Amino acid sequence: MKKEDTVKLISAEGFEFVIDKKAAMVSHTIRNMLTSPGGFAETQLGEVTFPEISTPILEKVCQYFYWSLQYASGMETEFHIEPEITLELMMAANYLHT
Amino acid sequence: MESGGVGGLVGRCIEAASANKETVEKWRRQRRTLERLPAQLADALLRRLIRRRLLYPSLLEVFQQSVEEIDLKGESYVDAEWMAYLGAFRYLHSLNLADCRAINNSALWLVTGMTSLKELDLSRCSKITDAGLKHVLSIKNLEKLCISETRLTADGVMLLSSLSNLRLLDIGGIPVTDKALSSLQVLTRLEHLDLWGSKISNNGAAVLEMFPRLSFLNLAWTSVTRLPNLPSLTCLNMSRCTIHSISDGNCKATASLSKLFLPGTTIDDVDEAFRNVEVNNMTFLDMSGSSICNFHFLVKMKGLEHLDLSSSTMSDTLIEQVANVGINLRYLNLSNTKLTTQGVCILAGNVMNLESLSLSHTGICDTALTYIGMMPSLRMIDLSATNIKGFAYWGRDDLEKTFSLCMLQNLSRLESLNLEETKVRDEAIHPLGFLRGLNCLYLKSDFLSDVSLHALASLSNLKYLGFRGAVLTNSGLLLYMPPVTLRVLDLRGCWLLTEDIVSSFCRSHPHIEVRHESIQMIHTIENVCAGSSPFHRTIQAPKLKSKEGKLSHAPSGFPEFAFVDERTKYTREELLELQLLPLSSFLPYGPDVLPEVLRKE
Repeated sequence: MKKEDTVKLISAEGFEFVIDKKAAMVSHTIRNMLTSPGGFAETQLGEVTFPEISTPILEKVCQYFYWSLQYASGMETEFHIEPEITLELMMAANYLHT
Repeated sequence: MESGGVGGLVGRCIEAASANKETVEKWRRQRRTLERLPAQLADALLRRLIRRRLLYPSLLEVFQQSVEEIDLKGESYVDAEWMAYLGAFRYLHSLNLADCRAINNSALWLVTGMTSLKELDLSRCSKITDAGLKHVLSIKNLEKLCISETRLTADGVMLLSSLSNLRLLDIGGIPVTDKALSSLQVLTRLEHLDLWGSKISNNGAAVLEMFPRLSFLNLAWTSVTRLPNLPSLTCLNMSRCTIHSISDGNCKATASLSKLFLPGTTIDDVDEAFRNVEVNNMTFLDMSGSSICNFHFLVKMKGLEHLDLSSSTMSDTLIEQVANVGINLRYLNLSNTKLTTQGVCILAGNVMNLESLSLSHTGICDTALTYIGMMPSLRMIDLSATNIKGFAYWGRDDLEKTFSLCMLQNLSRLESLNLEETKVRDEAIHPLGFLRGLNCLYLKSDFLSDVSLHALASLSNLKYLGFRGAVLTNSGLLLYMPPVTLRVLDLRGCWLLTEDIVSSFCRSHPHIEVRHESIQMIHTIENVCAGSSPFHRTIQAPKLKSKEGKLSHAPSGFPEFAFVDERTKYTREELLELQLLPLSSFLPYGPDVLPEVLRKE
């Protein structure tokens, strides 16, 4: 996979998730960061840091990005959300406009 | 953001969080997170919990730092305990307690000191009196207050004058007097005032001039006949009033009304009533049930989009005045008028933008369909209870028979068509099969049978099909292939259908909501509902009407349970047998002499 096609998402604890750019674009917030003109650091490096989002939540968010792509292409599967993380995940999703 | 958006991770999280009691228990202890929850998320989550009936008073506590809006409308279990928790909400901006019947004065005491509250709805909380209102008065920031149909008196209303920030005040259904209204003069920020059903007279109405920002006013069911000139007014409701003038006085500054609700009003002199009114901006006019015979005032209303003249004196000779202002009309209701086909002819060509047209209970006939076909923007047509037969004879000798419903095929945007209680027969139904865009079709007639239902199977976008009172047989229903989009099939009054056939149809088409007496009957029996049910009155019994009426007078013959529809009790053969029986001969003698088929338990 070429580096241009991937994005690095960094959690509050510093964990790095390298995912497809296409998947990350599911989030309107990330899409705006990566595509906005004016040369944000994020645009150039392909790296986004989320100091507010913990590692397990960011992992779940990444899973959702991929699930969402599958769903859009016709795969009808459930996206399971554990009740314990609903609130945190809700806030992260709200921030990411997902 | 939509609270329960199907897509989107936020919507899925809210869904997952409010799945059941157990899931709620999993997150309710996460206090720090709950406190950080953005208001719009907290509001959406709380709304979902209320809708799922998962909310209870002590659970409210976890939301007190985050929620800004609560809508508990109609939840009759909301009582003082709930209010104790709600009173502690620090950022609550809007609280809707309309129809919460358990709320009384002492429960309302708990809202005192909710300084962040701007909107409070207590409509129809029938236990609230003047004493309860005093607690509300402590919320000085209140901008919207709805207290209609509570047990407030005129004295209580006078106390409202201390809420100087009020922009919206709904005190409908409360006996507000002229004196009470004049004490409210200090509320100069008022934009919306609802005074329906009050005791206001013309003297009191004169005070309305003191509200410089007033844009919405409801005076329905009052004795006000003259309004002062209210230049800021855009929306006025004076239904069931007697009107002499909507804008009194001689000054030139006139009211610029855009919406006027005048159903059931009595107007002696229309020109006088509208004399000072600037009508160029009028977009909405409801004069249904009005007795006026002069529609000249319509001439200047060139911007009119919604016009309701149902049950008025509108006729073929007067319709020209409607046609003159028809260019912007989107909605036109002429039902229950003396209009005939000629009137529709005058309208055609003048109402190019009309989307909804109601002509039910008028004297129009099939020729009118030709003219309706010339109104290209139509989406909804209501032709119920008219003389439409579905065919017409053309040519001098009446030799050429054409199916008049074909005329509707030009209407590419047509979505909803109502032909209930018309004289359309099976042979004339088939042109409807070509109205591909149709979503809703309403039919109710005892001239229709299996053939018609099958002819309608080609309507591939149909979502709602009403096929009521028809001679539909069991085999006819079983052979019917409903379009995949169909959600509701209304078969009420199709008296030949038997219960097992209807329920087997339901089973094979689980996504369709079928309405039929036999289904209702199952529910009725499940609920052990004795005696006659309200369905009984609505059932049309064209074939056996007289006999059914007599049969239902002999309830002692059927001791087990009451039948919703007597006809569904018998099989087809039994019914045919019944038809031949001389009913009058046995009925007066009670159950002992009932023929064998009737004694069947």
